[in-house]
Amino acid sequence: MKAVNQRYTRELIGSIVAYSLLLLGAIWLINGPLAESSLRFVIVLLPMLPIIFTVRAIVRYLSNTDEFERELQLKSVAVSLAGTAFITFTYGFLEVVGLPKISMFSVWPLMAAIWVVTRFILNRQYQ
Amino acid sequence: MKNRLRVLRAEYEWSQAELADRLYVSRQTVNAIEKGKYDPSLPLAFKIARLFKMQIEEIFFPEE
Repeated sequence: MKAVNQRYTRELIGSIVAYSLLLLGAIWLINGPLAESSLRFVIVLLPMLPIIFTVRAIVRYLSNTDEFERELQLKSVAVSLAGTAFITFTYGFLEVVGLPKISMFSVWPLMAAIWVVTRFILNRQYQ
Repeated sequence: MKNRLRVLRAEYEWSQAELADRLYVSRQTVNAIEKGKYDPSLPLAFKIARLFKMQIEEIFFPEE
């Protein structure tokens, strides 16, 4: 178990660091030297490359972790999916009648927050 | 499901963490099984039975 957890932590931190660096680089490039270039569509997506490794790290972790941990994670993800779908769709309707439009960037943080809170509640339930 | 895991663990004087290591699961899993809040999969149940040199039915008791 320790090896699985350690590798997961390593891969997660690695991809977050890579993401942050590429994000800073991309922002600098599209606000500066490449502001008018058609390359900016490619550059702005560079931070998403490490996210591919994040997804792989998560899938690898879930496949190799113990069955109970896997069950708790999947329960949390399921609740997060339902909650995010419900909330974002509800707000979509409200946008139609005039509430301010919110960026797509808010979806993932919402999903992550619900995932974490649900996992926290489940941990306490099984303590 | 009711089970004798905690009793058996005590007989061997293992902590939950030590038992977890021997079963290749997390301590949280051992704790949840002992409290009857989580039923192990069949492979894990067989691992547990083999570790304590018993049959599954001598360790786990389904509520009828």
